[in-house]
Amino acid sequence: MPQPLSAKDQTNFRNVVRAYEDKQYKRGLKTADSILKKNPKHGDTMAMKALILNGQLKTDEAFALAKEALSADFKSHICWHVYGLLYRAVTNFEEAIKAYKMALRFEPESAQIQRDLAILQIQMRDYQGYIQSRQAMLQARPGFRQSWTALAIAHHLAGDLAEAENVLSTYEGTLKSKPSRYDLEHSEAVMYKNSLIAEQGDYQRALEHLEEAAKQNLDRLAVMECRAEYLAKLGRREEAASAYRALIERNPDLQIYYEKLVEVLGISEDNTSERKAVYDEYASKFPRCDTAKRVPLDFLQGSEFRAAAEAYLTLMLNKGVPSTFANLKHLYADEFKKNTLRELAEEYVKSEGIDKESKDKGEAAGLFYLAQHYNYYMSRDLDKSLDYVEKTIEKDPKSVDYHMTKARIFKHQGDLSKASEMMDHARKLDLKDRYINSKAAKYQLRNNENERALKTVGLFTRQDTVGGPMADLLDMQCVWFLTEDGEAYARQGNVAMALKRFQAVATIFDTWQEDQFDFHSFSLRKGQIRAYIDMMRWEDHIRDHPFYSRAALAAIQVYLKLADKPSSNGVNGNGEDEDEALAKKKAAKKAKKEQQRMEREAAEKQAKQDPNKGTKTDDEPKKKDEDPMGLKLAATEDPLGEAIKLLEPLLEVCPKSIEAQHAGFEVYIRRQKHLLALRCLKAAANIDAESPRVHEQTIALRHALNGATDVPDKVAQVLKEEFNLIPASANLQETNDHFLAQHKDSPEHVLAAIRAKKILGEDRKSTDKQVIEMLDLPKTRYNDAISALQTLQQWRSPEEDAFKKAAQAKFPGATRFS
Amino acid sequence: MDIRLLTNADLPLIQHANLENLPENYFLKYYLYHSLSWPQLSFVAVDVSRPKKGPYDYPKIVGYVLAKMEEEPSDGVPHGHITSLSVMRTHRKLGIAEKLMRQSQLAMVETYQAKYVSLHVRVSNVAARHLYENTLGFTNEKVESKYYADKEDAFSMRLNLDEIKKQIEAGEKNGDAEEDKEHEDEGDAVGEVGKDPGQTAEGKQIKIALGKRPALGVGDLVEKDDSK
Repeated sequence: MPQPLSAKDQTNFRNVVRAYEDKQYKRGLKTADSILKKNPKHGDTMAMKALILNGQLKTDEAFALAKEALSADFKSHICWHVYGLLYRAVTNFEEAIKAYKMALRFEPESAQIQRDLAILQIQMRDYQGYIQSRQAMLQARPGFRQSWTALAIAHHLAGDLAEAENVLSTYEGTLKSKPSRYDLEHSEAVMYKNSLIAEQGDYQRALEHLEEAAKQNLDRLAVMECRAEYLAKLGRREEAASAYRALIERNPDLQIYYEKLVEVLGISEDNTSERKAVYDEYASKFPRCDTAKRVPLDFLQGSEFRAAAEAYLTLMLNKGVPSTFANLKHLYADEFKKNTLRELAEEYVKSEGIDKESKDKGEAAGLFYLAQHYNYYMSRDLDKSLDYVEKTIEKDPKSVDYHMTKARIFKHQGDLSKASEMMDHARKLDLKDRYINSKAAKYQLRNNENERALKTVGLFTRQDTVGGPMADLLDMQCVWFLTEDGEAYARQGNVAMALKRFQAVATIFDTWQEDQFDFHSFSLRKGQIRAYIDMMRWEDHIRDHPFYSRAALAAIQVYLKLADKPSSNGVNGNGEDEDEALAKKKAAKKAKKEQQRMEREAAEKQAKQDPNKGTKTDDEPKKKDEDPMGLKLAATEDPLGEAIKLLEPLLEVCPKSIEAQHAGFEVYIRRQKHLLALRCLKAAANIDAESPRVHEQTIALRHALNGATDVPDKVAQVLKEEFNLIPASANLQETNDHFLAQHKDSPEHVLAAIRAKKILGEDRKSTDKQVIEMLDLPKTRYNDAISALQTLQQWRSPEEDAFKKAAQAKFPGATRFS
Repeated sequence: MDIRLLTNADLPLIQHANLENLPENYFLKYYLYHSLSWPQLSFVAVDVSRPKKGPYDYPKIVGYVLAKMEEEPSDGVPHGHITSLSVMRTHRKLGIAEKLMRQSQLAMVETYQAKYVSLHVRVSNVAARHLYENTLGFTNEKVESKYYADKEDAFSMRLNLDEIKKQIEAGEKNGDAEEDKEHEDEGDAVGEVGKDPGQTAEGKQIKIALGKRPALGVGDLVEKDDSK
């Protein structure tokens, strides 16, 4: 039972609440303690104290005290509310929801608790719970439009479009007068309702609603786009055509408008001359529009293509548009177009009437086009490319663009050191441009120059950020740098720093997911519902972004290496591993020193800050990074468990990524999760049955099963039924030899077969040797050699140096083999 | 190059373009704040011809304009503000920055009845100033001393949007007479063909609480003027 407080302490209690709200944590604690001195079992005060402790980042203490508060006063909604807040603060939303539900039980009238609960439910995508909460909130405040809109959103997200529409209509029915034309909330509500009608597939009704209710809507573009779409869907072609024409008039630089227009005009795919006429009309009407001029190149063929391409190329090169090649390279998939464009560019630079003096127009632009042409992987001849780029540099020795391309040529030659220097040279030609600065830093990272790269980007990060450039990059969620930095560390075998960076990227995605939290209420206030729905749908698959998959896959590779180490250490206790242990010790020592240095510098910088300008008070501490060098990450006892944490979201939102499925297999097979490994393998085979890794992993799984003794009966039964990529009775060696013979010219397949041999227990010397011999295949390219090198590194082969020597001979100048 | 309205799924690559190009950076939530408050005002330029890289490819952003309405205009006049504008160095000379700006300005008037649009530009950014002053018709209002984090001054510029409003009204009259004609074109480019400022930038540091929740609400994202 709660202890009743004296009148004075009741005032004190209110002061504690206010102190918390004002972030006056010290004062709040003092007052709370004075109450607790007299009323040691006062649950609400203990709860408030816990909340303040949490504000001071003393999370563990806060939780302990909040639990104590609950046992002192189980029926206090304040205690439960605080318990919920604490869970919310550590983003354990599921537990928070439970606590809020308890709080609501003891205080069913609390609008605040109800609202907080609703937000948590939608954050967790508990649609049914959210509908319930929103219904209760609507009953409490039926006069507010927001209450109705929110319930409609709840039904919409739960998939009940008709009910969502119904809720909006019910509210509209209560409106006594027509809202003002400039009522933004109403304007948006109309468009939201319209989108609900259309989403139900009823375009006739959607069109009628649009023409009646949205005639003067404030979102003109949306009205125009919807109207065109509905008319097209309803087969009212003539009207649709003029609707799309109106859109093109408004914005001639959007390809889809033209495509739709062509469609509703009934022009067939192969009627290229009529299609072109549509584009030509707008090309002459809007001389500055690129789309109308360029898109016909996609569908024109033969001499028509040649003529159009010549006109386009001439115009662009005369103007000196630097993205000309980037705008055309997609056409290179067509051999004829690729050759035609090269011929046209060659003719252009030889032709008479062009500007020969300009630094970036005319001849210079033509030469630049050719340099990029020969640098592109589908038309690559790096010697020619270099030749052309030198000619452009003669035209303008200070051009950033030309030197940037030169650096890319070096990169494609595999000489990352020269590429890095050249990009840095380009950077120095325009010190005020962050774009070229970023490129220079990226090339330094490709060349494993982590410290130098950080210095380079540090020229543009905020100078007053405590913790230096890296702290600013982390604050600003600079994913590209973190990923490249991590990859560079991974290449150098610096597991700790590599994991540190990859995990930082994973954390940024956690933040992005959490970011939506505040918008569940914010968007209702702002009334921009369609934008909110768009955000919700994007957040549902946020981790399918290549930013996530790249960092997650790289981290998983590192964890796999960590997982493979202990066992191989056990098997081969030879001198090489002692060396490695020693090197590891050294690295750890160095890292520790570095960590101490960083801490010292941060402390100094903090001390130097102007105390009047400081944004953080003592009362609001910033969480300190306890592991800035990633040593704890690298020391993990359970690397596969860590890998799975990154893998699961990836498999969930990127099931069609073969890289994700391959990685999943490698993790699960090491965990002896045969069914999960099989699921990944089958998914990979569905994506690309010919993938060499599918072969390798098929062998690996069958081999693992042949040797496994403790597979539970049920699992064995499922495996028997589901694992039919290779018969259980197959002779794996023969199967693999057959595969090798079939694909003996393909370096990728050969490497997979050698890896399979290794899995089947073939002698190390023999497999190492075969990897080196793979270099002699005529089709072996630079990337194949890199894969081969990685394989040897994964095996921790003594032949790594021998391989590099051989690879260097085949790819002279390639830094990765030096 | 497509010019189109920004979607939320574009945000990571918009943030990436910003980080690659400009010294004034924001975390993703600040972009969300724009896209969820004034979803009609921000536009992107997308490289549509780039071949897709796998099944989970996102459109490559080569330029963007991030725009807003001033939440509590000190002069009481509703007006728009350009938070950030940038075009990749590799995609200059296509008039992208101008096209992005014009789409945004049109929506400011249509949706929010903006009377003018304001922005800040680095005093040293000649190319950007050329776009704003010569191509788009902005006028320089005043110098904001040490506006940027690195202490550089900013020009505070604005453009009256009356002209766009008149065009819209003329279009509406036409529309009454002629049902299908939705809208008059807001006019051809006023700028010189081929003159493009390329990468231009505006933006400034925003004050942000980086502590754990519950410290950071959307309210904290509202731009605060550090110069005062």
